Amino acid sequence: MITPLRSVIDWLDDRAGVRDLVNEALYENVPGGARWRYVWGSTLVMAFVTQAITGIFLWMVYSPSTQTAWESVFFVEHSLTGGWLLRGLHHYMAQLMIVLLALHFIQIIWDGAYRAPRELNFLTGMILMLVVLGLSFTGYLLPWDQKGYWATNVGTELASQAPLAGAALKKLAVGGSDYGHQTLTRFFALHAGVLPALLVGFLGLHVLLMRRHGLHAKDPERGPDCTFWPDQVLKDSVAALGVLAVVLALTVWKGAELGSPADPANPYNAARPEWYFLFLFQFLKWFPGELEIWGAFIIPGVVVTVMFLMPWIGRSRAGHIFNVMLLILLFGGSAYLTAQALYDDNFSAMNERTEENQARYDASQAFLNAKQEAERDAERVVELALSPTRIPPTGALTLVYGDPFLQGPKLYKQHCAGCHNYVDPADPDPNLAHLVNPAPTAPNLYGLGTREWIGGWLDPERIASKHYFGYQGSPFTSDGRNSEMFDFVHESLGEEVDDEQRQTIKEAFQKVAAALSAEAGLSSQHAQDLADADLIAEGRKLIEGGLADVLDSGASCTDCHTFGEMQDIGSPVLDGYMSRQWLLDFLSYPADERFYGEMNDRMPAFAPHDDPRMNQLEQKSLELIVDWLRGDWYRPEHPAAASDSE
Amino acid sequence: MANPPQLQDSSSSPPENRRSFITVFAAIITGAGATLTPLLAGLVAFFTPLLRKSKSPQVRVALLSQVPGDGIPRYFPVVADREDAWNRYPQQRVGAVYLLRSGEAADPIAYTAKCPHAGCQIGYQSGDNLFKCPCHTSSFNLDGSRSRGDEEVSPRDMDRLPVELRNVELDGGESVTEVWVEYIDFQTGHKEQHRTA
Ligand code: HEC
Ligand code: HEC
Repeated sequence: MITPLRSVIDWLDDRAGVRDLVNEALYENVPGGARWRYVWGSTLVMAFVTQAITGIFLWMVYSPSTQTAWESVFFVEHSLTGGWLLRGLHHYMAQLMIVLLALHFIQIIWDGAYRAPRELNFLTGMILMLVVLGLSFTGYLLPWDQKGYWATNVGTELASQAPLAGAALKKLAVGGSDYGHQTLTRFFALHAGVLPALLVGFLGLHVLLMRRHGLHAKDPERGPDCTFWPDQVLKDSVAALGVLAVVLALTVWKGAELGSPADPANPYNAARPEWYFLFLFQFLKWFPGELEIWGAFIIPGVVVTVMFLMPWIGRSRAGHIFNVMLLILLFGGSAYLTAQALYDDNFSAMNERTEENQARYDASQAFLNAKQEAERDAERVVELALSPTRIPPTGALTLVYGDPFLQGPKLYKQHCAGCHNYVDPADPDPNLAHLVNPAPTAPNLYGLGTREWIGGWLDPERIASKHYFGYQGSPFTSDGRNSEMFDFVHESLGEEVDDEQRQTIKEAFQKVAAALSAEAGLSSQHAQDLADADLIAEGRKLIEGGLADVLDSGASCTDCHTFGEMQDIGSPVLDGYMSRQWLLDFLSYPADERFYGEMNDRMPAFAPHDDPRMNQLEQKSLELIVDWLRGDWYRPEHPAAASDSE
Repeated sequence: MANPPQLQDSSSSPPENRRSFITVFAAIITGAGATLTPLLAGLVAFFTPLLRKSKSPQVRVALLSQVPGDGIPRYFPVVADREDAWNRYPQQRVGAVYLLRSGEAADPIAYTAKCPHAGCQIGYQSGDNLFKCPCHTSSFNLDGSRSRGDEEVSPRDMDRLPVELRNVELDGGESVTEVWVEYIDFQTGHKEQHRTA
């Protein structure tokens, strides 16, 4: 075995001088012996190699266009075997690379390793740092999720403010005035082509120069010299493994997140740059108005220029001290700004709202809410994309726009929440806290059509509460102009009714509620409605006039309402009450004879015209609101399977 | 690879020198021609976006009746056809405006929701007396002016958009008034308004 191998090596050596190459590469002298403090440069190379490998494999799946970018990343994350691992490695190694760069940089300055004859090492190193930051910035956009989209948008928007060519540069980077396909293709070409090529080139130079001048030994007298192979290589490898362990731990523990697909029409209000750019983000807040170019360009520009000049500044002892001071200032300052940015964003979670801090508190609360909402949205889109219908060719955004669960609350918030309340009175859901209206001027729509909700209309106490007719300015209570329903319920179960009869009436009302609720045909109550067919049939009889025998007043629902066999009585018509069609017709024009007629109290008509251009809401939006109110949206059969990314 | 020492040596013999000058010149020209042509072709394609101008669309955003004269801003999405490279998306949300009207007789005022600072979407909660931007905490009064003047990170007040009212006859003979705006996209970060286009 040895001899053939030897002859192959000899053959190669004759032609390419491999022995010298290998010797030079491996038997480099390490003055003072191998040390842990020399590992940072090598870990960076290892990090880059990881990025190149994982990057190329991701490239084999990734598809840069606005209808496929998020979708292909979703596919990596949820469909490819081990895709989450591949993407996680790439995601977290990118972040760790920034940390390693910072460590490497601090060490070089601290040790004065940038001084002659190593100026060029330093300059190539600085360029490498900028290239890596460029890779991070471009990479952040590629998954085309809300977070990356909006954060990058703010970034390029700022860049466009650069003096002279800013606006043109932004247009070139973005590939037009707006973000779109061309932005992705350009960013991807930078991310996977141009920048890596630059990185390889400068890294080659950097390592070559490093070898030329030898390792910068901290104290060469410390011990006997050794060679790079195997002593230092062992230490480097152990360090590389350590770095990998951290990345793996982060991947397994947190996983690379994927927000919901970028939606140009719905800004993500919690858009923040990646954590290592946060200090810049925070720094900008110090520069109001036109001073911004100082914060965004002039000061950072000066700092980077000074950094490039460090080898020359550091020639004298005083210069070196200046460099070290600047280093401390930069890193200390960045750490402080980063902490401040994080604190500002989480302010409301850590403080009480007071008179003085309210602006700060509200801003932070808005941020946290937006973030939480975005996380829920992201989970939901994944659920939809994993559903049997999968993602349509128009992209995942189509799923988002067509989903009552996602769009309902947004449309409701915009069009209904000003008057209505939406909250479970018994058990408020903190996830829906943003839909609560503390001072409603219309009924509570939570659980609309359910037996529970309908029962409230027939309960003297509940109908008088703000959740039904007791809302502010209601004309439907006993002193209002349309108190018939209210008075009917209160008289039916008034003080003079004795306990035994009260019990009978309540039972009758329960049957009525069950029957009326069955009209809604809610999918959540489907099984129950089937099971209670007899109860419902009894309830229908009661509504159609049977109640007259139960109530002392001899009144019944169909004295006033149209229902079942009792047609053309009056409104609101209870046939199909709170069914999908009833609601759609109702929202279109609530003042219709079938609904409130002249009694209508402020409930707007959202689509009264045949010509859709004249209407406030188009049919699609109405359907989304109605389906959401009725709880009709896709639910995975095995909820656990949908969240396997967690 | 050029050989500099030889070039110097040849200075003693002028004809040689001239020939090598021509050689060098020709080598540079042909070499540059061979490499720069593809580069140029690439650059021209790459610079295309700078040559394209975009127009601000005229958009119908609301019915006049949807903007009560109570001085409270109402939010309306701006829906227009959007083009993206090889796709055309009919009737997409491209942004949003706030319309408000002080008095039933007054014409509506339109503000784009895009923050003049860094382009985030300015928010408005009903009941507030301020517009608030969620990104860098700029805030604006309901007349669009910056609430803290030049202290504010935003370099200018909210951008107003030109509004036009159009009367439309319906089939039944009645007519409605529509609110149209010219949805202009302004550059962010400057004291003055510049259109992006
Ligand atoms: C301007 C205030 C206002 C707005 C905005 C409003 N509503 Fe109403 N709505 C009311 C009032 C008041 C009633 C009760 C009217 C009545 O009983 O005559 C009502 C009744 C209803 C009802 C009947 C059930 C019940 O609880 O009485 C439904 C359903 C409803 N609204 C849904 C909506 C939806 C969905 C939206 C948004 C698309 C909306 N409303 C927007 C004021 C409003
Ligand atoms: C005396 C006449 C009268 C009687 C009897 C009556 N209602 Fe009503 N009901 C009304 C009026 C009036 C309204 C209010 C309409 C409005 O909201 O504008 C109303 C409202 C309702 C509503 C809420 C409608 C909505 O969506 O806002 C429900 C549900 C209802 N009635 C069910 C019943 C049932 C069930 C019975 C029999 C147990 C009954 N009503 C008996 C007159 C009556």
